[in-house]
Amino acid sequence: MSKIIAENVNVYYGSKQALFDVSINIAEKEVTALIGPSGCGKSTFLRCLNRMNDVIDICRVEGSIKMDDLELNSRQLDVVRLRENVGMVFQKPNPFPKTIYENVAYGPTIHGIAQSKEEMDQIVETSLKKAALWNEVKDRLNEVGTGLSGGQQQRLCIARAISVSPEVILMDEPCSALDPIATAQIEELIDDLKKEVTIVIVTHSMSQAARVSQKTGFFHLGKLIEFGPTDKIFKNPDNQQTQDYITGRFG
Amino acid sequence: MNSFKKNLLKKRYIAERRFQWYGKIAIGLALTFLAVFMFQIFSKGYSAFQKTWILTEVHYDKELLLIDAESPSKDDLENADYYDVAYKAMTSLDPGLPEEEDRQLIQMVSYKYETEVKDLLLKNPDYLGKIVPIKLTASDDVDQVHKGNYPRDIPEENRRVNDYQLQIYDMLNERGDILSEFNISFFTSPDSREAELAGIASSFMGTVFSILVCLAFSFPVAVLAAIYLEEFAPKNKFTDFIEVNINNLAAVPSIVFGLLGLGVLLAVFNLPRSTPLVGGITLSLMTLPTIIIAARASLKAVPPSIREAALAMGASNMQTTMHHTVPLSMPGTLSGTIIGLAQALGETAPLILIGMVAFVNTIPGTPVDPAASLPVQIYIWSESAERGFVEKVSACIMVLLAFLILMNLAAQIVRHKFEKKWS
Repeated sequence: MSKIIAENVNVYYGSKQALFDVSINIAEKEVTALIGPSGCGKSTFLRCLNRMNDVIDICRVEGSIKMDDLELNSRQLDVVRLRENVGMVFQKPNPFPKTIYENVAYGPTIHGIAQSKEEMDQIVETSLKKAALWNEVKDRLNEVGTGLSGGQQQRLCIARAISVSPEVILMDEPCSALDPIATAQIEELIDDLKKEVTIVIVTHSMSQAARVSQKTGFFHLGKLIEFGPTDKIFKNPDNQQTQDYITGRFG
Repeated sequence: MNSFKKNLLKKRYIAERRFQWYGKIAIGLALTFLAVFMFQIFSKGYSAFQKTWILTEVHYDKELLLIDAESPSKDDLENADYYDVAYKAMTSLDPGLPEEEDRQLIQMVSYKYETEVKDLLLKNPDYLGKIVPIKLTASDDVDQVHKGNYPRDIPEENRRVNDYQLQIYDMLNERGDILSEFNISFFTSPDSREAELAGIASSFMGTVFSILVCLAFSFPVAVLAAIYLEEFAPKNKFTDFIEVNINNLAAVPSIVFGLLGLGVLLAVFNLPRSTPLVGGITLSLMTLPTIIIAARASLKAVPPSIREAALAMGASNMQTTMHHTVPLSMPGTLSGTIIGLAQALGETAPLILIGMVAFVNTIPGTPVDPAASLPVQIYIWSESAERGFVEKVSACIMVLLAFLILMNLAAQIVRHKFEKKWS
């Protein structure tokens, strides 16, 4: 079942076009990986899904992106509600310079999810457990989040993102700043999370895409060249460009 | 390594060493100037913290005081006539002096000596009828002679202390009746036309009130302006125009702000002249652009990843700004504010224009009482002819510098403390 359906999405930065007629169906409770060389527009597309492109003044998005029949690319859309439902994890871990507890509790606080202190404690604990961080930080919830290691910080960011129980989580190269062990932990986490949420992940690592995703989309120069089941893309792609990219002949 | 490469390397090392020497010379020069400046001020000013007293005896004679009552009340003492008693206290120093020459002795103490005689009795009513020792403030001329600042070898007619007075001074000094003590009244008295009585209490309080008013007006306005411009305003020609103007405003000579204060605050709004309220508002016009620029710079310095993190969590622009960006920018904003205030602290020109240069011999209790300020006080005293004011100017500069150093220290501490909290 499709969670997000994008049709003919065009994105412009000023006069420069960054995405050309991208159409894609993202399935519910699956991991969809977006791969492609740098500057191919995969992050731009990802940021269309929670309207983070709004932050960039010169950015203009055309076309239709529907999530459960809700048009995302509409002026009337309440961006705050959308982002409550669509969480995001960034390339570089960016915890708030506050305590670990406050980091996770921030989303539930501003969206009024917890009614009481106990409920909030519960949410923080569950989120940190889901992010596989609870055991490491349960005794120091009041220490600053920026004092953790890189991998822990990224898991804290994931805990922060799932604290508001989003339906979709967007990940923009979440492991590019991490060492292999931390990367493995995050990948394991993604595997667990997909039971409950739809995940879209942008990655530069093709092996990572192959490991964690069920569907893969290959972007090149702003166009979605090929999209299909991960197995097929990596073993038997239809397109020559895809073949060249995954075999390392360019990019 | 061939010789060409060797040569190149050698040249590079020499250039590096030469550059380091330039730097060291520059720092050395700057430190020398600072040392000369400090030495000048301290060597001239330290003596102002000492006050010279003349020790004599006073006879609280009931007859001379014109007190009739057997056991006089507080009011009786208050209303008594101290002229003769005080006069006699001074003339008793040289009983042989003919009466018409008495003024020479009286001139050796401050003109307020009668009040000092009165105050001593009011404090100790049981002195009535007794002969007791008393300290009288020496006149600024005697004070300067005692501190060695007054040359004795110039001809008598050019000297403010004549030979007779010097003779009396020497006699008293030999007897140990010239006292030198810490000058408390320099800090507790308002300005005076007499150097020996003048103090900085009025100008100090004036400065404190001005700075507080300045802070109260400029900080909220500047911070809100900076937040709006940096976080909310669309980036277009109009906001560019505003930005250019704010930067220009920071470079406008302070005297122009003084004229603005004169023309608008005093003439249009009829605020009370010569008061820290008007002075503070005028200074806040000057501080405003400084704080806006500092606040914007520190808002800009907050990493965009923090904004993105908050926005992606579904925080509104307002929440992102208030919960994350502004708290993170506060250390920079606060230290910018304090530096702006420190600048305002040293401003003289705008305060002169709005009338804070008036002679004020009362200590202001509120921002709407007339007051001077420390830099203006320096200006007023440096214009005075009396030798006693020379050291006062330097002493006042020392107080102003101490104030400045304290503020800059506060800026450092604030910066440090907040930064620790947030990272």
